[in-house]
Amino acid sequence: MNQLKAGFDRLRDNEIYKQWFKNPFTYVMGAVLLSILQIVTLAVSGAPWGVSGAFANWGAWIYEALGGSVAKWYYFSTTGAQNTLEQGFLNHPDSLRNVGIIVGALFATLMASQFKIKIIKNKKQIIAAVLGGLLMGYGARIAFGCNIGALYGGIASLSLSGWVFGFAMFFGAMAGSKLLVKFFM
Amino acid sequence: MAVTNSTDSSGSIRSSRRSSGSRTPKKNMIPVGIILAIIFVIIGILLAQRSAMVGFFWMTGIGFGFVLQRARFCFTASMRDPYLTGGTALTRAVLIAFALTTIGFAAIKYGYQMRGLPIPGMGYVVPISLATVVGAFLFGTGMVIAGGCASGTLMRVGEGFTMQMLALVFFIIGSLWGAHDFEFWKYHFISNGKTIFLPDLFGWTGAVAVQLVFIGFLYVVAVKWENRKEKE
Amino acid sequence: MKEVILDCFGEACPIPLVKAQNAIEELEIGDVLIVQIDHSCAMKNVPEWATKAGHNVEIEEVDDSEWEVIIEKAK
Repeated sequence: MNQLKAGFDRLRDNEIYKQWFKNPFTYVMGAVLLSILQIVTLAVSGAPWGVSGAFANWGAWIYEALGGSVAKWYYFSTTGAQNTLEQGFLNHPDSLRNVGIIVGALFATLMASQFKIKIIKNKKQIIAAVLGGLLMGYGARIAFGCNIGALYGGIASLSLSGWVFGFAMFFGAMAGSKLLVKFFM
Repeated sequence: MAVTNSTDSSGSIRSSRRSSGSRTPKKNMIPVGIILAIIFVIIGILLAQRSAMVGFFWMTGIGFGFVLQRARFCFTASMRDPYLTGGTALTRAVLIAFALTTIGFAAIKYGYQMRGLPIPGMGYVVPISLATVVGAFLFGTGMVIAGGCASGTLMRVGEGFTMQMLALVFFIIGSLWGAHDFEFWKYHFISNGKTIFLPDLFGWTGAVAVQLVFIGFLYVVAVKWENRKEKE
Repeated sequence: MKEVILDCFGEACPIPLVKAQNAIEELEIGDVLIVQIDHSCAMKNVPEWATKAGHNVEIEEVDDSEWEVIIEKAK
């Protein structure tokens, strides 16, 4: 057992291991790898990577579990949307991809021995998380997606909407920065 | 902020420091990581037996999450830092990703069109309207405040940040709210919006060329911006 | 020559970077700023900014998922 532990410690301190699993990749390396995953995703599934669309379904599932109904909502009125809702979480590829992102990041953090639950520090962070989350959720739904689907996927799909989204988002980020420095720092 | 006067003046940073660095990381989480990886693969196989596509999305999701975390790839920072801190390293990386993916996507789409098949991914070519502008602005504001965009929030949940876990809960609530109001935006704005697919305007080669030149232009602006901010 | 400790534990991006940028302004050349962070992104962007700005930088992992970025103001 001790030998095994020593082995893992040697692995942790190994320079090659560190390069792959501990020291951060360069941003450019990240860009290249994300691009490859994006292209593979389009080639295999016929659609670019999207994240926030699934959150509307998560919301609907939870809402319906609590006794609400979205059956009459325009957003969920198409047959496709209805089917997705009926088939549930485990048959919704986008939902599992989102869970995959969470566990993929968890895996990466563990392999770097850097996982730690970081508790919310103060009230400001609670307000920031609540407000920021709501703004992102609402904004993404009316703009056909988030920074992944509408921006990254949109631009890569040669849609002008991606660029419009990007510029509006840039100014939104400026406003957000001002708010952050003023109220949340 | 604590201020201490250092008596040591030997020059090297480390030796002039007080003893706050005496702790060292002890934990080795690699075994847990490996066990989890095995569990993830088993889940992947089980999911793939239900539906190959679900299994594929699960595995690529893990890939996306791994890459995002390893590179600290943050779309929020790419939009926020030019204004807030003057840095554009992530902005430039995002532009590189846009350029590479544009080329790959265009090749795939063009291939489908050549074979007379419907072009994939056209669901992401959407109408431009006030809803796009308002939604993206709100999204941009929210992600800076919440400390993570859609992908970044998920990634930080995986890293153990309770703040982003809370943000994710409200992201979902906000999504439901947005879905509820979607009819209003659709009726008043989106239905009057214009859908513009660049190859329709410039042809395939032209569209890719125009977009790459524009990305290149933004890249140069980002470099100049960072240099200018540094001199200030 | 003085040493300033900036406690950014529990702070999310970009707050550690903005605080560090503000703090370094207040220092003289040769002073040392120690930024304590536990946010994995700040552990990349704080040292990168400081290096680019021409300061001497060291980064030390002081505990699991906790870092100290040690910045000696050089200009």
